[in-house]
Amino acid sequence: MKKILAATTALVASAVAAQAEGTLNLFNWGNYTSPELLEKFTEETGITVTVTDYDSNTTALAKVEAGGSGFDLVVPSANYVPIYLEKGLLAELDMSKLSNHGNIAAEWKDVAWDPGRKFTVPWQWGTTGMAVNTTVYGGDVNTSAIFMDPPEELIGKVNVAPEMNDVMALAIFYMGGEACTEDLELLKSVRDKLTEAKPKWLSMDYGATDKLSSGDWVATINWNGSTMRARLNNPDVVYGYPKEGYPLWMDSVGLLADATNVEEAYQFLDFIMVPENAAMISEFARYANGIEGSDPFMPEEMKTAPEIVVPEEFAAAGKFLPTCPQSATDLYTAIWTELVK
Amino acid sequence: MRKAFDVTTLPGFTFIAITAFVLLYAPIVTLVIYSFNGGNSVNLWGGFSLKWYAEAAGNEAVQGAAIRSFIIAISASGIATTVATMAALGTTRRGKFKGQTAIYIMINQPLMVPEIVTAVALLIFFSSIKIATGYSGLGYLIIAHAAFCVPFAYLPIRARLEGMDLTMETAAADLYATPWKTFRYVTLPILMPGVIAGAMLAFVISLDDVIITEFVKSAGQDTLPTYMLGQLRRALTPEVNAISTALLALTVVILTAFFLITRKRD
Repeated sequence: MKKILAATTALVASAVAAQAEGTLNLFNWGNYTSPELLEKFTEETGITVTVTDYDSNTTALAKVEAGGSGFDLVVPSANYVPIYLEKGLLAELDMSKLSNHGNIAAEWKDVAWDPGRKFTVPWQWGTTGMAVNTTVYGGDVNTSAIFMDPPEELIGKVNVAPEMNDVMALAIFYMGGEACTEDLELLKSVRDKLTEAKPKWLSMDYGATDKLSSGDWVATINWNGSTMRARLNNPDVVYGYPKEGYPLWMDSVGLLADATNVEEAYQFLDFIMVPENAAMISEFARYANGIEGSDPFMPEEMKTAPEIVVPEEFAAAGKFLPTCPQSATDLYTAIWTELVK
Repeated sequence: MRKAFDVTTLPGFTFIAITAFVLLYAPIVTLVIYSFNGGNSVNLWGGFSLKWYAEAAGNEAVQGAAIRSFIIAISASGIATTVATMAALGTTRRGKFKGQTAIYIMINQPLMVPEIVTAVALLIFFSSIKIATGYSGLGYLIIAHAAFCVPFAYLPIRARLEGMDLTMETAAADLYATPWKTFRYVTLPILMPGVIAGAMLAFVISLDDVIITEFVKSAGQDTLPTYMLGQLRRALTPEVNAISTALLALTVVILTAFFLITRKRD
């Protein structure tokens, strides 16, 4: 009897303790955080997570920089992490509190924007490539020629996502340049090629998932996860990895320097590096995570998806976009403005 | 021959009007139709279903955002209407005075200054207060909303006041009513339709606001519009259509009430 009483007391006490554990404020892209993941986290730790949405890196940075909004964790894209670091907005991670840090896959550990992963841990990553409907075009889709030099069948049918960084990177790679290049000769050829190609495009618009699914668009620059969702609706859609080079992107979670729920934040960071939990993130948002050993927990249709698992032969063409110096960005903006006007 | 000189004859006018209405309303009609989509897409029809309404209603993030939206809209429109009523009385129930135009411009400033400018200014200003005081509750959003709602409440109230001459109030004063009693028993009851109309407009404007809210909100303070904006990066589902349709229905109800109330005046 005493034993049962003691056990009950202990249980009640632990339940109360769990309840009192505290809260955590995650500032993340909208519709990007798996609710099941948060539920599981709360169950395990008793910490309730409040998610606040943002829709662009710029908005998030502006709010974090202004401070005082009470966020603990933020999820910037790779090319924004250096800006956060330069402004001193992220805290250096205390590795003793992150027992699962070793789970970060080797290729995501020594990344250019955060060597050794001292400030951020992987959330999700993906690629920007070509999505083509094979009933209209049966040729090679693994090339940026799809939009830079559209083949006969696709003239007047190509959509280009209105994303300066992605489009400029694809175009520069196609013309043989490197990311952030300031080689004026090369940039001139990029500009001429883009201006020449533009009349052969259908539009510059977002919304690829739906329009590829319905067949309204037959070729577009698109992100891999979105193309996968379109293919599940419309099996004629294929994803192409431009062999000339294509951008990789990754969003990583960082601990804010002015976070108030630091212990809770560490628990969360450690939690999302458990392979099973990382797979939950991927299952929800349909992009790959950077955690070793999460594959067995991934949903069946993602394990083999050609959009998610980069084929061996195209892996080398994928390149991360660094944060370009202002002078390069100014040149790109000038070309872009001329293109979209 | 006579028809050509008739001022009420405007050739092509009907056509332009109909085109304008179609262009204005076709996208909204599409949005409403697809909110009843049984499929997962915002432009692929998958049969009639109410599942996205159920989904939205059962989504905790949507519930939280909706409650927050209403708390903010009710408080902000309440404050804005009170302030606007006082401002309208101050600017109309007296003779012309120096600086009147300047005051009009100041009151209506939120209508003219681009919203993004106000948003950035408030972000910087409130952030320093948030850091200094440690308070980061809904108060900031309520104050911000109240501020830009003032002109929307002010305009219908002032319009009503300008249509009321001073005879009633003068009569009340002649009968030894104190200024407060005159206001309470004479001015306010006649003014009421204007006040209600102003409050409704302010409520709708606050409910719809995106830019200022996005910049001012603290952790866990998404409202319905900022929640919907956040959905954009990934594929939109008809859940967003369902939420929009619900908001639209609410707006239509309020604006119809606004129309009926202001019409009574004439």
